[in-house]
Amino acid sequence: MERVPVQTNVLMANQQTAAENRALFEAEGLLVINIMSSPGAGKTTLLEATIKGLQGRFRLAVIEGDLQTDLDALRIRALGIRSHQITTGTVCHLDARMIARALTDFPLEDLDLLVIENVGNLICPASFDLGEGLRVVLCSVAEGAEKPRKYPVMFHKADIILVNKIDLAEASGVELSELIGNVRQVNPTATIFPLSCRTGDGFSVWLDWLQRALTTRSAAALVRS
Amino acid sequence: MHELSIAANILSIAEAKARERNGCSIQAVGIRLGEFTNIAREALEFAFEVAREGTLAHNARLEIEVVAMIVECVVCHGVNHPERTLCLICAHCGFPLKVVSGEELQVDYIELETEAERLAWKEYPYKQMC
Repeated sequence: MERVPVQTNVLMANQQTAAENRALFEAEGLLVINIMSSPGAGKTTLLEATIKGLQGRFRLAVIEGDLQTDLDALRIRALGIRSHQITTGTVCHLDARMIARALTDFPLEDLDLLVIENVGNLICPASFDLGEGLRVVLCSVAEGAEKPRKYPVMFHKADIILVNKIDLAEASGVELSELIGNVRQVNPTATIFPLSCRTGDGFSVWLDWLQRALTTRSAAALVRS
Repeated sequence: MHELSIAANILSIAEAKARERNGCSIQAVGIRLGEFTNIAREALEFAFEVAREGTLAHNARLEIEVVAMIVECVVCHGVNHPERTLCLICAHCGFPLKVVSGEELQVDYIELETEAERLAWKEYPYKQMC
């Protein structure tokens, strides 16, 4: 028997494709957000509200990931926004190659923001870099206060954590401060926005932050060019 | 069940290395698996058994070295091995803890059948592997 050292990252192929995606996004001066959450936390509702808040000022497009149906892509298209549906069949996450393939029929040069709505799942998508600039994790108060502690890897890797459905805190018997404390335990440095996409409570703070990110980015791109 | 795609990746890396060495039978694949990944060891072992069929590793063992999670405070540099309940805030000074180990997911080595072993097998034609 001969032992041969390999020492190669198992996800190397995905990371190479993600790096190519990232280089492409950078070259186009485009901010790309990867939104991850459990099913039903409110990703598509968040997207709809975010699109309504940014429409007219920034150019947006959306890539939707789901196991089945193009229902989410249709919801986004109904707002007049370009959207592409990836149906993964049985695969529980998006990977960088799926994004690279989706980009072939997706012009990027006239965009400021591309949002990728990942498959609803708090486990698998954490392992797969897509080439995004920001990782956003959305959790809802209605899921209980313990989610961040039960799924620490996903919450730990997030840049931004949105705590949705704060209007349901009392009805769900959840202390918002306890949930946010649990988020902090697994990710002490993420920026956290408590909000309700349905009532609009706290939503403007997230929207202002995102607009500032987009404006700063395009200003930086102007300086570079 | 992303362990199946993880197993497929492990096998394609192992096969590429075996081909580079002109190996035709992989006897073992060694991986390093961090505690702070979302990969379940048992699910990965099962997925590997399924995915190895029809590859150069169809007889291979999967040898998993679990890498412990170690965190270090960014301010006081205290090093700790977190207990079951994970808290990434330093118990001494309240600043964030950085994960310094436990996120590994790496193919570490493969074990190949040597030329001498292969020739020895050839004397038993019904057990030939390639």
